Amino acid sequence: MSGIVSVYTFWTLWLFVHLILALVLLGAITHQAMAVALPVRKPATGIVTRFRAVSAAGYTTTVCVLYVLTFFVGSYIYTQYRTAIRIPLEEAHFYKTVGFFDFKEHVATLGLVLLPAYWCFWKNAQEPEYDNARKGVTLVLAAMVWFLFIVGHVVNNTRGFGS
Amino acid sequence: MSTTATASKTTPPASPLARSGKFKAFATTFSISGPVIYCVIQYFNYPLFTYWPAVNRFAWGFGAGSADTGPNMLWYGWSVTTVLIAAALGIVAMILPEGLTKKIPLWLVWVLPILAIPYVVYSLALWWRLAARQ
Repeated sequence: MSGIVSVYTFWTLWLFVHLILALVLLGAITHQAMAVALPVRKPATGIVTRFRAVSAAGYTTTVCVLYVLTFFVGSYIYTQYRTAIRIPLEEAHFYKTVGFFDFKEHVATLGLVLLPAYWCFWKNAQEPEYDNARKGVTLVLAAMVWFLFIVGHVVNNTRGFGS
Repeated sequence: MSTTATASKTTPPASPLARSGKFKAFATTFSISGPVIYCVIQYFNYPLFTYWPAVNRFAWGFGAGSADTGPNMLWYGWSVTTVLIAAALGIVAMILPEGLTKKIPLWLVWVLPILAIPYVVYSLALWWRLAARQ
């Protein structure tokens, strides 16, 4: 890529890709989690009810693909974070920010290893024995994705795009 | 549970892969063991490899950061180790009789990642202590 765009632009573009993937993932898993936590029993009318009334199972493979893509793009730009972002954050004594980013990396892996069971439980949604586990794993995964997104957003605000 | 009806009505029949008892055993074992393995690997610091981003260097196992190499990154190594061990356990589960693997409590899949969080927070105590000193 050198010669086409600057190093700064290169990493900023990847950061944007990571952000867009994360946003789509957040939307998909939130739809599914809402549908599973607060299922709609009568025809949807308002915007909130319609948000919950989606066909939740249809999101499963998309969520898995998006999670893996977001994970790998995040892993790629993590190298830049470690050298160009974290060291200045430590020097500026932003210890909580650095700690939460490390927390984020751990949660990202914990979420990644949930995906096979998550996919399996949703693809066997007609088997009642998976109902509770499917609901539990979907809500935990949704909470993880929200946590990852918020921490990433805060770190980006501290020293990310434009810094 | 009310989600059963919702899911059943909107879900097409599972694919042959998803229906397979062996895949179910693999997926469940992988996801249950994953969080536990990750915490153990991270606690004992057994990354499969270490990466030094400043000099674009890899080495097997653990390697420290230094003034010459810059900071080290262990998370890649921890994650890959976790996936490999969890996959190996998943394969073992596929070989076991289905009657045995069906007895694995499914709630462990979502309870263990929650239980891993307090340990993860504890493992980052250095940062919280540094922040508290300010």
